[in-house]
Amino acid sequence: MDSSVDTERVAAAQESTQKLPQVSLKALFFCFIQVGLTSFGGGTQAWVYRAVVEERQWLDEKAFLAGLTVSQILPGANPVNLALYVGQRLRGGIGALVATLGMVVPAICVVLAVAAIYSHISAYPLTQFMLLGIATVGIGATFAAGTKAALRIERKPVAIAIGIATFVAVGVFHWSMIPVVGVLAPLSIVLALRRPHD
Amino acid sequence: MTSLLWKIALVFAPLSLLSFGGGQAIIADIRLQTVVLNGWFTNQQFADLFAISRATPGPNTLIASLIGWQLAGPAGMLVATLAMFIPSSLVFVAVTSVWHRHSGSPWRKAVEQGLAPVAVGLIFAGALTILQALHLSLLGWTTTLVAAGVLYYTRTNPYLMIFLVAATYLAVFFMF
Repeated sequence: MDSSVDTERVAAAQESTQKLPQVSLKALFFCFIQVGLTSFGGGTQAWVYRAVVEERQWLDEKAFLAGLTVSQILPGANPVNLALYVGQRLRGGIGALVATLGMVVPAICVVLAVAAIYSHISAYPLTQFMLLGIATVGIGATFAAGTKAALRIERKPVAIAIGIATFVAVGVFHWSMIPVVGVLAPLSIVLALRRPHD
Repeated sequence: MTSLLWKIALVFAPLSLLSFGGGQAIIADIRLQTVVLNGWFTNQQFADLFAISRATPGPNTLIASLIGWQLAGPAGMLVATLAMFIPSSLVFVAVTSVWHRHSGSPWRKAVEQGLAPVAVGLIFAGALTILQALHLSLLGWTTTLVAAGVLYYTRTNPYLMIFLVAATYLAVFFMF
């Protein structure tokens, strides 16, 4: 259909006015291989933030954080959804595929390799101890990314209150994430719509 | 063999669409299907597979790939992986396509502005939840804080950071 092609073109034109960087599929692929292989014991989102927002500046804070929230609430593993989001935003459907393959394929190889030797290493206390150590780096990365993101987004009382409410509900009270986000996200979006924009 | 592959696909494809909030949401169901209903693994075997998928990099839903491999080799792995990832990915791309098309609209700006604080809240909530589950020792707290500080203030390579902490733990393990 011509209309769909036109929509694509209009979308592409709009994207280009937003000055999205030109990212090669190869660069996208290797970026996600890197984060895919770094994300031991959680912390994936922190490593993606570091790689995509900070080091390469492919996306700005807001675009990344919006994608992060959607990645967490829709079905699918969060790292995969995040790869789909970043890849699609930068290079469309093929970008989504390439980023996801980068995130998943090398990681599968590692999982299978570890499974092959697992019975030989799981009995050693050292294995658990080292994995715990690596997990702490993931938590540290998460705190670093969270702090940076918190300081860079708009510092309006409403936004701060929404952020704290989300943290307390999910982190402290351990309420289920889906209903919490289901209430707070629309509220936060409506409040943002009513604010004057720059 | 073919019927086994079908069974594998039918275990993971529906769960893929139900994995709201990520892989942890469906782990209990994967255990139910593979241990209780199909009798493919014992509880201990499943616990080991779960531990491997947690300890290795990548999304925790890679436990599906591992289960597929254990049951039917490379073909099983391929079927399980595709069944686990394709349904949810199609839904995700379909939903976000609408959004990507409306770049520059006030709605999308409001959506991005509104979702940012929610995301920050979720990032800290996730970190806190993992911290509570790990019951860190003094060493654990120290490396967490040092890693956070180094990664906040410097552009240190993630691999170097992981390597240095792993080396520290190795040294501590053999010294005490």
